[in-house]
Amino acid sequence: MSVPANLYLAVQRRRNRGLTGLYLVVAAFLIVYAFLFPGLLSVNGFSKFTQNWFPLALVTMAQALMLLNGGISLAIGPMVSLGAVIAAVTMGGPFGVVGGLLAVAAVGLFIGALTGGIVAYLRLPAIIVTLAGSFIITGVALILLPRPGGFIPDWFSDLLAGHTPVAFGLLVLLLIGWKLYIATPLGLGIYAAGDNPVGAFRSGIPVERVKVVAFAISGLLAALAGLFVAAQTGSGDPVIGTPFTLNSIAGTVLGGVAFLGGKGTMRGAICGSLLLSVMINVMFFLGFPPVAQYVAQGLIIVGAVAIPQLTSQWRAKP
Amino acid sequence: MNAVKAALRNPPLLTFVLVALVWLVAGLTLRGFGAYGHLRYLLELSAVIGIVAAGQTLVILMGGIDLSVGAVITVTAILLPLISPDFDPTGGIGIVLTLAIASGIGFINGAGAAYLKVPPIIMTLAMATFLQGMLVIVAGGSAVSVTNATVIWLGQARPFGIPAGVLLWIAVSIVMLLIIHRMPAGARFLALGANPLAARLSGVSVTRNTLLLFTLSGFFAGLAGILILGMNRQGYVGIGDPYLLTSIAAVVLGGTSILGGRGTYAGTIPGAILLVTTTALITVVNASPGWRSIMFGALILGLLLISGREARR
Amino acid sequence: MTNSMPLLEARRVFKGFFGNPVLKGVDIALEPGRVHALLGENGAGKSTLINLLSGALQPDEGDVVVDGHPVSRFSPAAAREAGIAVVQQELSLAAELSIAENIGLGASPRRFGLIDYGKLATSVAEVCERVGLTEPLDMPVGDLPLGRRQMVEIAKALYRKPRVLILDEPTSSLSAHEAGILADLIRKLRDEGIALLYISHRLNEVQALCSHVTILKDGVVTADQPLAGVDNEGLVRLMVGRDAGDLFPPRLEGATGAELINLKKFSAGLARDIDFHASAGEIVGIGGLVGQGQEDFLLGLYGAIPASAETSEISGDRGPFKSVETANAAGLAYIPADRKHEGLVLPHSIASNLLLPSLGRLTKHGLRDRAAERDLVADLARRLTIRGDVDRAVQALSGGNQQKVALAKWLPLEPSVLLLNDPTRGVDIETKREIYLMLQSFAREGKLVILLSSDTPELVHLCDRVAVFREGRVVATLAQSEISEEAIVGAAMGVSTKGAAA
Repeated sequence: MSVPANLYLAVQRRRNRGLTGLYLVVAAFLIVYAFLFPGLLSVNGFSKFTQNWFPLALVTMAQALMLLNGGISLAIGPMVSLGAVIAAVTMGGPFGVVGGLLAVAAVGLFIGALTGGIVAYLRLPAIIVTLAGSFIITGVALILLPRPGGFIPDWFSDLLAGHTPVAFGLLVLLLIGWKLYIATPLGLGIYAAGDNPVGAFRSGIPVERVKVVAFAISGLLAALAGLFVAAQTGSGDPVIGTPFTLNSIAGTVLGGVAFLGGKGTMRGAICGSLLLSVMINVMFFLGFPPVAQYVAQGLIIVGAVAIPQLTSQWRAKP
Repeated sequence: MNAVKAALRNPPLLTFVLVALVWLVAGLTLRGFGAYGHLRYLLELSAVIGIVAAGQTLVILMGGIDLSVGAVITVTAILLPLISPDFDPTGGIGIVLTLAIASGIGFINGAGAAYLKVPPIIMTLAMATFLQGMLVIVAGGSAVSVTNATVIWLGQARPFGIPAGVLLWIAVSIVMLLIIHRMPAGARFLALGANPLAARLSGVSVTRNTLLLFTLSGFFAGLAGILILGMNRQGYVGIGDPYLLTSIAAVVLGGTSILGGRGTYAGTIPGAILLVTTTALITVVNASPGWRSIMFGALILGLLLISGREARR
Repeated sequence: MTNSMPLLEARRVFKGFFGNPVLKGVDIALEPGRVHALLGENGAGKSTLINLLSGALQPDEGDVVVDGHPVSRFSPAAAREAGIAVVQQELSLAAELSIAENIGLGASPRRFGLIDYGKLATSVAEVCERVGLTEPLDMPVGDLPLGRRQMVEIAKALYRKPRVLILDEPTSSLSAHEAGILADLIRKLRDEGIALLYISHRLNEVQALCSHVTILKDGVVTADQPLAGVDNEGLVRLMVGRDAGDLFPPRLEGATGAELINLKKFSAGLARDIDFHASAGEIVGIGGLVGQGQEDFLLGLYGAIPASAETSEISGDRGPFKSVETANAAGLAYIPADRKHEGLVLPHSIASNLLLPSLGRLTKHGLRDRAAERDLVADLARRLTIRGDVDRAVQALSGGNQQKVALAKWLPLEPSVLLLNDPTRGVDIETKREIYLMLQSFAREGKLVILLSSDTPELVHLCDRVAVFREGRVVATLAQSEISEEAIVGAAMGVSTKGAAA
């Protein structure tokens, strides 16, 4: 019997399985990008690049949580908008930046948990509940801030979206947080409950609670992405998050997370978001109009879902 | 008493009664609401939503949701002026071409859902995004004016005092009611929506019906796009956006289950009128777009709670 | 060792589903240090009894007793606390997680709220060694073959240090070597004083491992005795020995017609390399234990799952069919076992369910012909004695009447081959008889009836031939003179009895 010297590290290594191709593609794109834009290798260029990537990485994590759990969220974009709006509305208030941060986090957690509760305890399909939720959240954002505006202190914008790679540091911190969470019984339950809910229930995993917590964290991540976008632009905008719903799905499926739940890894999803981000940057650099990324995203999503489907069909043929 | 109970169990009738009540009360209390011109205007707006919601009704009956109808409307409204050939004074060729493109987009949605097994919501969402990008690339950001004679007639003419759009809606309604209630395809859609596995084992082809359904949805969205273009005389990026949500809302207001398998276009017709009327009233009481969005989301959620509970029983 | 107090008991438990009694006053007592066998045919109530003992279901009447104390409101959680572990047939594993994480799932050691991977590794390594799992602990379970996953499942149960261990068909997917390791383990656990309940259809294993047996038949205990002195044939007799009564109509002798199905090396899903032929006018039975590929065989014939064959001829067509529609067009009809999920569109009306397969045929100028449809529905309802308003939702009907609708909807298509998957499951006696008469009249009309049934007497009394499946293959084809319950059950369990020719 082989007892691995360190089971945790061994399990972590195993999770890279099947991702080598993705890592190589991401690396290749990064090299191409660095070649086109040598400034990437400077502190400033690196900072700007990771700042563009950061919100995408957050929403992709938020969506990956949903897909791993066997659901999907169509409310990620509106949640980003709401996060941005709340940040812009509260940071000028009496509690300042700290108050704004707390308000964004609390709203994200609350709305996420509420959605999760409806899905888990009333057993309704996540896709339609979050579709309804997306309209309600958009509405709230529009009421709080009908047109772009609000106030974000300059020093806060400079801190997050200035010339230093703070965003990248935050991303590393978030990843550490995710690693810690996935090492708790409740976190590990996300995989078990997404893949085999009946089996997870019989094993003593509180399947409903796992789902509610996953939705809450997902809401938090999306709201924080909104906060960052607000810092980036220096103001709030009630519809700025709209593209993020689809972006998050694109990044997640690019990273190999399956629609059916329980399959895939967070590191894959984050690589997917990085790939998407680099692709958008490269396209921009090659002179494609900004809207071309919409075209690309539509194709990427269908392709990323369809290609594994087709190959499995071909393989099944005798 | 029995009649009341029957009405309560018949969502289309219930929605009709609701519309009548709202019109009566609003007509008596609000100045100008009951004028013929205003009611005709409401019906004209309802016609557009009703036609978009025709395709949406079919897709929802089968348990999907088409999130690309708004983009298809925009595509037709922008493409039609561009592809209507000058040598054709009636504009018929342009209309046929545009409708073919709209149906083709729907067909691709169906193919993605049927062959690639992409969930319909995702497939149509991706399609909407794709089209949005393509439009800006192809057409640029500027608005295009329409000169197509038939389209302008459709949007502006009032034969016998009835707007041509409303006449078109009546025709669409007849076709829809025939499809759902009098053609085998309608019964197959419903069976697939209620229990795809049992329907498949009963010899109902999932692939063929999915393709048919999304093609029809694309067609009706295209038809609505042409009507909107005729009414606006201009097509621009984003012109179709408001119709996505309203089409879903009209369907569920008409009593069609958002989970599929139960419902009829007979409910969507009053659903569309009710929606337009409430929107008009909300505008009167000055509800902001935010509140409208919240009310809309709450409506879907509420109906989901009701129909979801029924489905579990 | 014996005569000690039972750790877990069921006392006079009754349990029914939708008015169908499944357990009718069953007693069972699991004592420490004893391997207790639970035997019975499909549908005898074994799974229900296990679910009662593990808290997944509550008895309607009677008690579940732990350590001599009756427990009220037994739940899976309470069962776990009481030290009861179950290895179910359906695995409870998550494919993406590693062996160690799966074994520890829901019961991992923690440190500061985090899973203590170090401690987990050592404790999991211990149980893995006991069950002979040599794969690295960090390996994802999805990479393991089915048999090894079963061992992980067993290790998972052991990890919780149970006092009572219930094993439901643990060897069904194990190799001989693995089954041997499991047998040694079971003996070791027995010697440690654990109470074991062992459910298996492999009688030789039962003979080798168990010392006490409880046999269930139709929800009643027919034997509760030490196993010593009872041979395999004796066990089979105890499981099936029953009076068939006059439930079955007298057998009809009819001439068989043209050959309708001829398959060589037909494979679909679990069914592998099936040679099969059948002719018009026959009722051919498909028997065997549940899940040996019988259902996939029917679905493959019906074009509902991909199938392949060296040569095949189905109803004059080359086959295998690629879709259900082509199978329908060739005259095949399929009546599924799970009528609520596969057979009927429950929320829709009786009429629309009856019309579903024939929708395309009753049209005039492309529109549905209402009058013709009404006539057809009325005719079907009359022929199948479905009474009342046909516009009622089909879910309002009783199980028997639902099954009649699921059958009747095919009649307008006049199928030449009827594939029936357990058509009398959960159906009352009277409807059963009606269905039997109907099957006979189909055969008399020159149709081919293929009847898959988990109810062995049905096969004995209705079929002209019976093909018995085991592990995806036909292990015996019994001619009419050879058909008996003993022969079918014996062949299904791999016991050779007289008359079973491979």
